[in-house]
Amino acid sequence: MNTNKTQVPLFSFGTLVLLILMSIGGFAAFYRFAFGLGASTNMSDAVPWGFWVAFDVLSGVALAAGGFTITAAVYIFNMKKYRPIARPAILTAFLGYLMVIVGLVVDIGQPLRFWHPLVMWQYRSVMFEVVMCISLYTTVLTLEFAPAVFERLKLGWALKLIKPFHYPLIIAGIVLSFLHQSSLGGFFLIMASKVPSLWYSPNMPYLFYLSAICVGLAMVTFESIMSAKAFKREYETDIIKGLAKGTTVALLVYLVARIADLATRGTLPLLFDGSTVSKYYLAELVIGFVLPMILLALRNVRESIPGVLTGVSLVIFGVLFNRFNTNFFTQVGNGASYFPSWMEIAISVGIVAGGIFVYRLAVLYLPVFHAEMEH
Amino acid sequence: MATIAQPKGVLVDLTKCIGCRSCQIACKSWNGRSVKKTVQNGTFTNPVDMNSEAYTVVKFVETEKDNMISSWDFIKTQCMHCKDPACVSACPVGAFEKKPNGPVNYISERCIGCRYCMMACPFNVPKYEWEKISPIVQKCTFCSDRQEEGLPPACVKACAPKALYFGNYDDVVAEAERRIKENPGKYVDHIYGKDEAGGTSWMYISGVPFEQLGFKTNIPNVALPTLSWAMLKTIPMKVGGLITILAAIAYIRNRGNSGGGSASSKNEKEG
Amino acid sequence: MTNHWIDLRNADVILVMGSNPAENHPISMKWILKAKERGAKLIVVDPRFTRTASKADLYAPLRSGTDIAFLGGMIKYILDNNLYFREYVAKYTNASFLVNPDFKGPGELDGLFSGYDAKTRKYDKKAWSFQMDENGIPKKDPTLKDKNCVFQLLKKHYSRYTLDKVSSITGTPKDKLIEVYKLYASTGKPNRVGTECYAMGWTQHTVGTQNIRAMAIIQLLLGNIGMPGGGINAMRGESNVQGSTDYGLLFHILPGYLPTPTASLANLKGYIEKHTPTTKDPKSVNWWGNRGKYITSYLKAIYGPHATKENDFGYAWLPKLDEGMNASWLMLFDQMLKGKFEGFFAWGQNPACSGANANKTRKALSKLKWMVNVNLFDNETASFWRGPGMNPKEVQTEVFMLPCCSSVEKEGSISNSGRWAQWRYKAIEPIGQSKPDAEIINELYYRVKRLYQEKGGTYPAPIVNLTWNYGHKGPDGKIKEVNVHEIAKEINGYYLDDVYDKKANPPALLGKKGELCATFVHLQDDGTTSSGNWIYCQSYTQKDGKITNMMARRKKTDPTGLGLYPEWAWSWPVNRRIIYNRASVDPEGRPWDPNRPLLSWNPAKLDPKTNKPGVWEGDVPDGPAPPYNNEKGKYPFIMRADGMGALFGPGLNDGPFPEHYEALECPLQENIMSKQRINPAVKMFFAEGGKNLEDVYLSCDIRFPYVGTTYRVSEHWQTGVMTRHVPWLLEAMPQQFVEMSEELAREKGIKSGDKVTVKSARGEVWAIAVVTKRFKPFKVAGSTVHQVGLPWHFGWQFPEDGSGGDSSNLLTPTIGDANTMIPESKAFMVNIEKAKA
Ligand SMILES: Nc1nc2c(c(=O)[nH]1)N[C@H]1C(S)=C(S)[C@@H](COP(=O)(O)OP(=O)(O)OC[C@H]3O[C@@H](n4cnc5c(=O)[nH]c(N)nc54)[C@H](O)[C@@H]3O)O[C@H]1N2
Ligand SMILES: Nc1nc2c(c(=O)[nH]1)N[C@H]1C(S)=C(S)[C@@H](COP(=O)(O)OP(=O)(O)OC[C@H]3O[C@@H](n4cnc5c(=O)[nH]c(N)nc54)[C@H](O)[C@@H]3O)O[C@H]1N2
Ligand code: SF4
Ligand code: SF4
Ligand code: SF4
Ligand code: SF4
Ligand code: SF4
Ligand SMILES: [Mo]
Repeated sequence: MNTNKTQVPLFSFGTLVLLILMSIGGFAAFYRFAFGLGASTNMSDAVPWGFWVAFDVLSGVALAAGGFTITAAVYIFNMKKYRPIARPAILTAFLGYLMVIVGLVVDIGQPLRFWHPLVMWQYRSVMFEVVMCISLYTTVLTLEFAPAVFERLKLGWALKLIKPFHYPLIIAGIVLSFLHQSSLGGFFLIMASKVPSLWYSPNMPYLFYLSAICVGLAMVTFESIMSAKAFKREYETDIIKGLAKGTTVALLVYLVARIADLATRGTLPLLFDGSTVSKYYLAELVIGFVLPMILLALRNVRESIPGVLTGVSLVIFGVLFNRFNTNFFTQVGNGASYFPSWMEIAISVGIVAGGIFVYRLAVLYLPVFHAEMEH
Repeated sequence: MATIAQPKGVLVDLTKCIGCRSCQIACKSWNGRSVKKTVQNGTFTNPVDMNSEAYTVVKFVETEKDNMISSWDFIKTQCMHCKDPACVSACPVGAFEKKPNGPVNYISERCIGCRYCMMACPFNVPKYEWEKISPIVQKCTFCSDRQEEGLPPACVKACAPKALYFGNYDDVVAEAERRIKENPGKYVDHIYGKDEAGGTSWMYISGVPFEQLGFKTNIPNVALPTLSWAMLKTIPMKVGGLITILAAIAYIRNRGNSGGGSASSKNEKEG
Repeated sequence: MTNHWIDLRNADVILVMGSNPAENHPISMKWILKAKERGAKLIVVDPRFTRTASKADLYAPLRSGTDIAFLGGMIKYILDNNLYFREYVAKYTNASFLVNPDFKGPGELDGLFSGYDAKTRKYDKKAWSFQMDENGIPKKDPTLKDKNCVFQLLKKHYSRYTLDKVSSITGTPKDKLIEVYKLYASTGKPNRVGTECYAMGWTQHTVGTQNIRAMAIIQLLLGNIGMPGGGINAMRGESNVQGSTDYGLLFHILPGYLPTPTASLANLKGYIEKHTPTTKDPKSVNWWGNRGKYITSYLKAIYGPHATKENDFGYAWLPKLDEGMNASWLMLFDQMLKGKFEGFFAWGQNPACSGANANKTRKALSKLKWMVNVNLFDNETASFWRGPGMNPKEVQTEVFMLPCCSSVEKEGSISNSGRWAQWRYKAIEPIGQSKPDAEIINELYYRVKRLYQEKGGTYPAPIVNLTWNYGHKGPDGKIKEVNVHEIAKEINGYYLDDVYDKKANPPALLGKKGELCATFVHLQDDGTTSSGNWIYCQSYTQKDGKITNMMARRKKTDPTGLGLYPEWAWSWPVNRRIIYNRASVDPEGRPWDPNRPLLSWNPAKLDPKTNKPGVWEGDVPDGPAPPYNNEKGKYPFIMRADGMGALFGPGLNDGPFPEHYEALECPLQENIMSKQRINPAVKMFFAEGGKNLEDVYLSCDIRFPYVGTTYRVSEHWQTGVMTRHVPWLLEAMPQQFVEMSEELAREKGIKSGDKVTVKSARGEVWAIAVVTKRFKPFKVAGSTVHQVGLPWHFGWQFPEDGSGGDSSNLLTPTIGDANTMIPESKAFMVNIEKAKA
């Protein structure tokens, strides 16, 4: 049974940093639970959805979209080439969703009632649908990743047991992802009079879904580059190139959809009315989507690791920026202002650090990059 | 108690409101609200907005015509008790419920504190107990407890000049229409809340255009829940569709390679 | 109020000037808005745009202290355009009376009336009199043409109040003046009625009484007095302040508006002669002719069996004022500061915040040996010794706090502005050790009396002879628990003997010995009746043998449809809801306006009592006598010796016609109307170079360039002692503030919400700036004058952290109205500076 133990030590400078960030976040979290949201955050009646919703939930979920995109590619479209990264992708998605759930529990005012939606069904609520999907999808991801654990523990019987569920699980995962990825955009449909009309559209769910695919691919690319760096393995250039190409296509589709949407709603003029909103919107669109698309479309960029890294980073930024803009301009429209407190940031950073740390452990102790053995 | 089941409404006639704020105080008194320390902020509006201890706040608005004050209006703000409330449909745990007689009630025991209701409400009504460790949402109850007893809301009762007209929803609308029709030029020809957000139990008529008074005039005339429902109701169909398509594709693309997708199984054999 | 709250709904035009009902009498707006629903028009004249103005059809701003100019202009407008109610004026007012030819007015004497003595600052009113005919009745010229007749003099006097002058005094734009005049004067027709609502905006001036006189003249000219929906209505203040004046809680009157005896009136006979007007005019009722009956019955009420014919009914025991002595509020604290008092009961008041020139008042308190504060709460008065600028070590005053319970913790009557006495019940038991005021007084009385009885002391008679039958006495002779019903009955009065109507023959029995009096008409001057307050006679009486508390009635019947509700509570006098109502009918007794039949004479119907034809239907008439034209007919204004509404009012200290004078502190070098800048008849407290700097005033001084005024807000009550303790109200109005125009704020670089200091010649307060469109600069005498205003609801003692601020009375001057001495807290001069953070 082969893992990365040999190559890298468990404790490095990096892990130390992670542990520090986690403990700072841990303290902040303690403070939040001990003294309440008012004492620990800058949220208010004017801005009830702060940094946590924007980052941990809206962005977090999107960033974890790598899971379903890759499984779709590998198992549905049978693109064998990407098989090596299937498991890391599933792992990241799994951890990603765990992080989202932790983030949610920190954010909601009644953490001990986190389970309420599972029993108090309110099917007309988008929030209900999202919570349900996330819970189910996390379960699915657990099962999708389970084989790695079983292998490690040499539980052949268990592997046999879930084997038949393989395809159903994959499909369930993709379907659930489609639902809640788009429903994150669906959150805002009801806020018709609040969301700035540049962002508001009946098609928000689809735009959120498409952008999730973009950032899903971008994230996987980003990860495989980063983990290769981290675990001192050579880059899977072929895969990365492919992913970059995929991202480009996804971006193109997304951009076409988004512009078409603007145009059909007759909101194009708003783009250039010089308002703050429009400036942010343009920044998001150009830096976050158009620019990376152009970059990744260029072969020599796509061939160079730094090039790809830049491209996908821009996409990640773009989607984050899109989620933040949608969330905050919906609230701070009427004079209200908001900037997260250090504790809000610390907790989110802590969660991310935790995620990376666990990822590291998993990679070190579980057969995540088994692709290596196929060489 | 059949009368109670009748949907009730309130008409706020801004041309009759004298800004005495008895309603603001009566509400606090009936609902046992405490206070959040304020300072004189340079206006008469205080607290500056509704909050978890203030279900209703009267806003003071001055309007000017050719450098002379042309009107001073007092706008009582509170939950509008929408007919098909955004807050109700937004809540993942059904902590809000629309009662047949009008009030939109909140069941704090259900609430998980996601604050989606606050985001969803077009009038920014639900407020949160940020300062508390176990916070809940707070908002005007339409005094449903009083209504159960056949009493009018506390604020209505306290309104000396009868700027608040409480009654069966249909009569309230009729009364608003009558006042506008019978006093040409006195009112702008609009009943705010009759159509906004698909209609609300509380409605306003005014002598000054609503946008000048800070009313939200960009709220669509549809029940907001229909906007998200349009998406939600398609889910079953989408699920069905997606599953069939994905299964089909998977079948076609994986034809032939026996092993199926599970990479892991292979490894086992080889390892 | 000549009328009553509900009656506001019957008006066609409502002039709110000198008050702010929306904020200070919210309930009245219910009726004002009802009138508007009927198509009535609301006019508001106020230095700033108030919450009442927000409901007005017409708003006109004016500079504080210039109402007489404003109204004088209206009088001129009415006369110039013949908009007055000719028959009413000719028959029901003294317009036709011929005035003493020696009489000269401000037109001729440059701001003065004849008879002024600059040294005493008083008028010799000899010349302000009417020419009498051989049998002592005023000479009249029904044509109103005689150059000496009141009407012509009125014309002459107000001919000086031209639009230009008025506008440059008041700062009101001319077009606004005309609009107001035109609209209000439209009520000069018999079928249109206008009413006026005033309060402190008019009274709190050195010309306060004349402000109201000016309006009374207008109402008489337009025939609006006595009419439903008319009259001139004082929106009274403290919930029971009407009661407090009715019961003589003032230095110059006893209960029922009987003048306080003066030292020179040695005996009852002298008192009655001095204070009982006479007339030889058979058509005049001259109700005050009954004065003797009322004072005698009063003495019988308070001294009971001790008051006998022989001892002049104990008249000697009544406290007397020295000739010309003034014991009003300002004088009291002036004397207190001079150390003239040992002790002081601050009973239900908070002078440290409410008294004008608070610094002086607070200093005065420190000169006392002892002070008793009877109140619900500690307040700035009780705690004055630890207040700002005080050094507790230096203050010798011993302060006692007697906790009393609030109005809802005790039973009793309360009289509202409409003269309704309404009975209120105890809602909850008194909290803690607090006692009803009556119990506290009972305790005091008992102990003081015992001291007199045991130790003698100077002149015990007035105390030991008091009747005090207000409940069951204990063994010690002290009343265990005061029964307010007994007090109410004593106020109403009893027949102390079988009382007969001697005019009738055989004499008819009016009331049996020991029964409660039925009406003040039955009161006698021979000691056979008692009444603690004659105007309240009938409030707690015997209705067909049954003792009934009329004030507790709650029937909602409205026979006239005019909202009189005659069986709801009880209204003085004799349940009359609109006084001077005989003026609402023509000389034949037909209502001037058939659509508003308040009263009408039915000559055919038999009078149940006399069985003679002819009765009044509607409200309780001002006397049963038949109408004016009837051979037995009487004039409408029965309380006046000549029976006429007084356009010419020789009674006041500062002139028979209102004349514009500037406030003590004003922005103008000189009065645009005359050389007399301020009211020549006011008592001055400070003279050039005087040493009493606490009374200093600075008029037209660059250091204090802005007109200042003080007022109320809905959210607070008075000095705020009762409302600052209510968190909800404090949340709504948390801090002292000062309202100013955007223009002034710009000049001063002040933004809304900034902390500023407001200074006057006497003191300063900090306040938060409220910059508003509701105040606008005035164009006065060609230049710009800014006005600012502050509420006076705050005080240093609560909230304890001082976040509320302090009383705006730290700014107001020591000066009073020439007749009432009410402080001029509505117009004075201040400066404003941004506070150094
Ligand atoms: N909420 C509330 N109600 C109250 C009271 C309270 O403290 N709070 N107090 C009660 C008592 S005791 C009283 S006496 C009444 C007083 O009732 P009001 O007289 O109505 O009370 P104020 O606010 O002092 O003054 C009324 C108006 O006079 C205006 N004013 C100032 N100077 C002038 C002037 O020179 N001319 C004219 N025309 N207007 C002027 C002010 O701007 C103000 O709007 O209110 C009673 N009601
Ligand atoms: N600058 C300025 N000054 C003013 C005025 C103004 O307009 N401007 N207005 C003037 C006017 S109109 C008035 S009426 C005066 C009022 O002057 P004050 O009467 O001195 O002031 P209040 O605050 O009304 O004081 C009433 C006190 O009675 C207490 N109290 C309440 N109920 C009871 C009770 O049942 N029994 C007893 N014993 N006490 C009770 C309250 O707690 C309160 O402290 O202020 C005058 N001062
Ligand atoms: S009580 Fe009535 S009049 Fe007073 S502020 Fe409220 S709505 Fe307006
Ligand atoms: S106003 Fe807002 S809170 Fe009230 S019912 Fe409508 S949506 Fe819900
Ligand atoms: S905060 Fe509570 S009431 Fe509001 S939506 Fe969430 S769960 Fe429902
Ligand atoms: S209806 Fe009841 S809860 Fe709502 S504002 Fe009025 S008093 Fe307050
Ligand atoms: S007396 Fe009471 S009810 Fe009447 S207006 Fe004043 S506060 Fe309102
Ligand atoms: Mo008063």
